[in-house]
Amino acid sequence: MTGPQGVGIGWRPEIAGFVADLPGLRFVEVVAEGVTATGPLPEGLATLRERGVTVVPHGVRLSLGGAEPVDPARVAHLAAVAELVGAPLVSEHIAFVRAGGVEAGHLLPLPRSREAVDAICANVARAQAELPVPIALEPIAALFDWPDDELDEAGFLTEILLRTDAFLLLDIANVYANARNRGTDPAALLDRLPLDRVSYVHVAGGTEQGGYYHDTHTDPVPPPVLDLLRELCARRRPPALLLERDGHYPPGPVLRAELDALAAASGFPVVT
Amino acid sequence: MSGGLAERQAALVAALVAGGPVPPGFDPAALAAAGAALLRKRAGEVARHWPLLAAGLGPRWQSTFAGWAAGRPTAGSLRDGWDLARDLRDRGTLPPLGAEELAAREATDRYDGHTPPRPRRLPGWGRAGGAVAIQVAGRVRLLRPARH
Amino acid sequence: MTVLAAPGDTWGIPGPTFLGIYLLATVVVVVGTLVHRILVLAGPTAGDVGQLGPQQVAYLNGGEQLAVWASLGGLRGSGAIGVRPDRRLTTGGPLPAGTTPLDQAIHLAAGRNATARELRRDEWVRRALDQLRTGLEQAGLAVSPARRAALRRGAFLLSALSLVGIIRIIAGLQNDRPVLLLVLCQIPLVVASILLHVVPRRTRAATQALRGLRRQHTYLAPASGPAYATYGAAGAAMGVALFGTASLWAMDPGFAAEAEIQRQATSGAGGSSGCGGGSSCGGGSSSCGGGGGCGGGGCGG
Repeated sequence: MTGPQGVGIGWRPEIAGFVADLPGLRFVEVVAEGVTATGPLPEGLATLRERGVTVVPHGVRLSLGGAEPVDPARVAHLAAVAELVGAPLVSEHIAFVRAGGVEAGHLLPLPRSREAVDAICANVARAQAELPVPIALEPIAALFDWPDDELDEAGFLTEILLRTDAFLLLDIANVYANARNRGTDPAALLDRLPLDRVSYVHVAGGTEQGGYYHDTHTDPVPPPVLDLLRELCARRRPPALLLERDGHYPPGPVLRAELDALAAASGFPVVT
Repeated sequence: MSGGLAERQAALVAALVAGGPVPPGFDPAALAAAGAALLRKRAGEVARHWPLLAAGLGPRWQSTFAGWAAGRPTAGSLRDGWDLARDLRDRGTLPPLGAEELAAREATDRYDGHTPPRPRRLPGWGRAGGAVAIQVAGRVRLLRPARH
Repeated sequence: MTVLAAPGDTWGIPGPTFLGIYLLATVVVVVGTLVHRILVLAGPTAGDVGQLGPQQVAYLNGGEQLAVWASLGGLRGSGAIGVRPDRRLTTGGPLPAGTTPLDQAIHLAAGRNATARELRRDEWVRRALDQLRTGLEQAGLAVSPARRAALRRGAFLLSALSLVGIIRIIAGLQNDRPVLLLVLCQIPLVVASILLHVVPRRTRAATQALRGLRRQHTYLAPASGPAYATYGAAGAAMGVALFGTASLWAMDPGFAAEAEIQRQATSGAGGSSGCGGGSSCGGGSSSCGGGGGCGGGGCGG
């Protein structure tokens, strides 16, 4: 089965009716932990599947970057959801969400050390052994860096991708956020990433607060992020784009305009 | 092999959500900003599970939640909201809408504060801030509204 | 062979004869009533129902009061009405385009600062509701009061028959006649007359349409946590129409509380109970419930 194509949107129960009404939609992404492994699928998702829309399960709580081995039950759940929706691939993050028995409640960055590379590669290998489909890894946005980073971000990500042979879920909102907060050039990072491994791209909104740019997913996509998307497409257009919105949903026409903006920036067909 | 990594990750998580010290080498301002962002995100998730409580506190929701949750790692949005609501009830600062929501939840599920809540199979009732709710066979009815 | 009236027969009619006539009459009335009901309550065929607006759906689902709530939901969704601290409604802005007479009437009443509970008694609102009802009656979806009275005639006839039977039983007891069979007949008869007294307000076609709409709009159920801003005023109104005032409370709890919108008995905690122990959420972790709220993106926000 081919991977995702064109412009898509993150499926959420809060906007299920809106997503169902998008005529040209060909793929969505769903948070894997929100789907029951044994089914049935949420109603809106089942309808999309019947229409032949590709559904990509997106894990958020596997904690592949954690020092502990990934929980086999969580991997099994992700695999089961992939089977349930007939997904061509799954995705997760280069991050950890728990340590020392405490849930962080959010994705936290790894130190860019060889030890961390080994840890995440081992976990990804464990996951790949149980997953029926390939996995794509998403680098995250972080407001801080670890003090003892050995590699820079591009080197760190490239090494992980090459060693695990996984795909890259490139979140350009995260690329922008990190560059903005560190004062570096986001396009420079794009030049150094293996863009041929990109399976799809996340685009999301954020906001400035307290001197930092926060990748909130609950705000509109700012113009710099769209500019970065254009830069990416100028280098190597990815197969698919996904608009990621997690809350504070705007009126329908505004959301449609955002999807249209993504299509315009990338040259993909409009889905609205 | 990952012993060092595990400990350092645990120290970071503790610093961000459990009120632990800033591990050596990290930028305290950045960690503080990250911790605050985490609390805002948590507040949003808890508000989805406890909409009446959040609405009852109105503009004070963020600050009330952040003040209560700082240094307290999450136990899940449902439990976070429950613990917060009970805390406010005990202090007498639970808004009426939140009291009604808490009473209804107490009537529907059994929660001891330590293990995840479980649905009550038998009829139950809940009280908070003057509100009284009863539940029979899954249907909840507010018998008495909260004190205003 | 004729059966001569034996001495001591109640009313001069022999027991078996009376029973036979009585049962025959009962069966005729019951069958007649049922056939009448089935024919009258059918409504138009599925294809002829057409598009139903939120207030029409609300009327069919929960009568005049729910139609008023649905209109309130739509008006609140578009920001056209608000509520004052003294529990009285106010206008929050102009009426958007494409509003129904009921919306306009309620908006006017809000301009006069009525309370939400008084709305149903307002003259213009009443007129708009009557208009709504007659429209639905003409479309064969609602059953007019006259029709409902006609449908109850069968039940009244059965009650009358039951009364005759009881009188016969009393007379029979006074005459020391066997009345057991007659008593046994009374029980189903009384039950039937009670059941047939209940006449629905909508036709079967309407019930079917409602069922279809609820399936089509499951995303508006309060348990799904719908994003009312995304679905707009029409979505808000339809949500109230299909799922009751719980939708209003979900959409704007502050408004619902201030305006003293009646609460309904909700069933359980709905979707808010999150994962409820399913393996999908792991032990004690945050209940994500399918929303994207779990850890999307980096530390920001």
